[in-house]
Amino acid sequence: MSERLPAPDFDAQNYARPNQNWICGHACDGNACRPGPDAKGRCCATAECKPVLELKPGETKGRWKCTRTGGACEAGPLPDGSCCRPIAKCSPVPTLRWWRGRLTLAVIAASCAVLLVVLGNPPWRNNFISPGEISQPHSGEAFTALAATNQLNQGCGACHVAGNTGPRGMVHAALHADPGILDLKKLAMAHAATPTAIDESCLKCHAGRNMHQPSAPPVSCSFCHMEHQGRMMAATTDANCNFCHGDATKMAVAAGAGNVSEPPIHHFAEDHPQFRFITEKLRDPDTLKFNHQLHLTGATIPNLPGGQKLDCAFCHQPDAAGAFMKPVAFEKNCRVCHSLQFDPETPQLMLPHGNADFVSAYLRSLPKQYATLAAKENPADVNGFVTAKLAGLRTQFGSGEDLERRIFFSTATFGPEAQVGELSGATRALFPGCAYCHEVKAAAGGSPQITKPVQTEHWLAQAKFNHAKHLNINCAQCHDAVHSKDTADILLPAQESCATCHSPRGGVADTCAECHTYHKPPLLAR
Amino acid sequence: MTRFHRQLCAGLIALIIATAGALWLNAKYSALANYAYLTGWALLAGMFVLTIYNVRKKLPFLPLGKSETWLQIHIYLGFFTTLLFLIHLKFGLPHGWFEIVLAWLFVLVSGSGMVGLFFSRVLPRRLATRGGEVIFEKIPALRHGVKTAAEELALGKDAKSPVIAEFYAKRLAVFFSGPKNFWHHLVESRRAAGALLAELEDLRRFATEADREKIGKLEALVRQKDGLDYHRALQLALKLWLFVHIPLTYGLMIFTILHVVMVFGFSGGAR
Repeated sequence: MSERLPAPDFDAQNYARPNQNWICGHACDGNACRPGPDAKGRCCATAECKPVLELKPGETKGRWKCTRTGGACEAGPLPDGSCCRPIAKCSPVPTLRWWRGRLTLAVIAASCAVLLVVLGNPPWRNNFISPGEISQPHSGEAFTALAATNQLNQGCGACHVAGNTGPRGMVHAALHADPGILDLKKLAMAHAATPTAIDESCLKCHAGRNMHQPSAPPVSCSFCHMEHQGRMMAATTDANCNFCHGDATKMAVAAGAGNVSEPPIHHFAEDHPQFRFITEKLRDPDTLKFNHQLHLTGATIPNLPGGQKLDCAFCHQPDAAGAFMKPVAFEKNCRVCHSLQFDPETPQLMLPHGNADFVSAYLRSLPKQYATLAAKENPADVNGFVTAKLAGLRTQFGSGEDLERRIFFSTATFGPEAQVGELSGATRALFPGCAYCHEVKAAAGGSPQITKPVQTEHWLAQAKFNHAKHLNINCAQCHDAVHSKDTADILLPAQESCATCHSPRGGVADTCAECHTYHKPPLLAR
Repeated sequence: MTRFHRQLCAGLIALIIATAGALWLNAKYSALANYAYLTGWALLAGMFVLTIYNVRKKLPFLPLGKSETWLQIHIYLGFFTTLLFLIHLKFGLPHGWFEIVLAWLFVLVSGSGMVGLFFSRVLPRRLATRGGEVIFEKIPALRHGVKTAAEELALGKDAKSPVIAEFYAKRLAVFFSGPKNFWHHLVESRRAAGALLAELEDLRRFATEADREKIGKLEALVRQKDGLDYHRALQLALKLWLFVHIPLTYGLMIFTILHVVMVFGFSGGAR
């Protein structure tokens, strides 16, 4: 370092010291003393000079000499060797630099004090350090009770080990974190899906991490479920799913473990596989014979009692949640057209529906049924009424066995075709026989056996769907019912049809979580 | 091209390149699991370098490079660190009391730094246009000299004008007693001093020829005192922003260290 000497015109008498903490109290009057205050702000003023004793050869007493800067004074030192011009003492004044230093110390002290007070008080600490609102399932009274049941600490300590302790515990937990504080390489290389210490806290309540595939690798809960993001826990993102489903290697391993082989999936519209009911050419196993095309477009289909045309909504009504459709029921949806009037001359009598044995029993008790009817309508001649009705049936169908066989096994319509059930208002029945709609088999004992129709409520078992969210779309846009003549047709849309809307181009959400759930149902139910 | 402009160009180019690089890295690697940890460490490193500039100034005897170079690095790194801060926050807002306090401290430190940069670029030019160089620490002494001279003119043994004496007692004594019109000077307004000079000018109507000469000298002293106040106000502004910047820097560092402790202590290595 080079040392700079003051310039010749340097005013040593009035040398300002802005880097020092104190200045002379006389400085504001322009009379600052030369030595100035010391580092602690004490006035160091004594006299204008410090005389020195000069001893000439042979002298014993010597002579005091003035050493004042700027020249010796006229009076010179006093006989005792002190300066004759003492400097008045002052109260040194702190500089801006001193004030700034004190303010800095005050801020440091205040910061430390506030943090110690807040962190040392658990309720304050929990509120202060929480980086965001906890989700509803992990907060509130219900969670507090659950935490108590599972012997967890309240507050942060329910999930975070460091939350159980004060500041010292936090530091201890930080120093023992894995990856460590300065383990930058491990931090950079670590994958978020790798289970961590926090997962152990999750498992205290969510025992038995339930992956949706037995071969799925263990994944950290926090990989998909981010806490401190608000009352609603954020939805799982596609990146979470793509951790496995976007990785061909992992999918190959899963396929090798006995799972269905699936190609990697990244986006629904791009590489999501076709729905399995299409690729595997599945057929609806329902034995009920139903022709959607006929019912929706057939010229012979009459209008409904209110005058409106038969449409999808007449039979397919949403359930209470609006997500799925209620099963179609004969009494509610079919009987209005398909009457069970077996005797064209007697509209008051209807076959029971739903049990073949009940039908057989009903047919074998026809005399009693006619008698009961006659008691209401023609009480004066009950026997005559019954005899006439039975004779009419015999004329038309032959014996009782023939009538029963006809009712169960016939598929042919009879009677005036223009009048169906109650719709024409003429009350002439048109009952074709059970086999017109149902699969009717002759059992070993000769009694007919009707295969119970099966209505599959949920075809895409791995996905969820909500009709209520699709009310602005016409049914036919997804369900090609007008071209379906066979009950075995599965009238669901293909993947491309869904992707028309559920894609970046369509503008509707196309995330995995939009349709799929990860965990197995038992965990969800819990 | 002056040395200042060369430094400015080099600094801006470096800042633009660093900003573009940081944004590119952010777009490419923001999906990394521990991305917030990495950006956090980068931010902390930047803040550390910015903080030790103050330490560097306290240790001028150590061969740590020129203070001017440190200042240039401090300025451009300060802007870059602000970008890192936004990246670390994922360009969102913090949640929770601690993080909000931490973010506010950063904003105040950065903001005061930018105000200080603005002052240090603008105020010295304004100072150079108003009188000669005045050392801040000597302003009280100079002001005292001006006050003494004015008192001598108005109230001294040679002063015989009651008009001037009365005016001095009513208006000028307060003006000369200490620094005045800080905010006026800061916003480059001369209305206050102009009003005082106008009143002095009005005084001439009631003064004798000899008094008018004194009034002229008083006007010169008022201008001199106003000039000193101007220098004091602007130089004080150049120093006062540090009263926010430096103390809060240390508060910020304390909260930041605790933030690091809490992140590692509470995440347990998880996100």
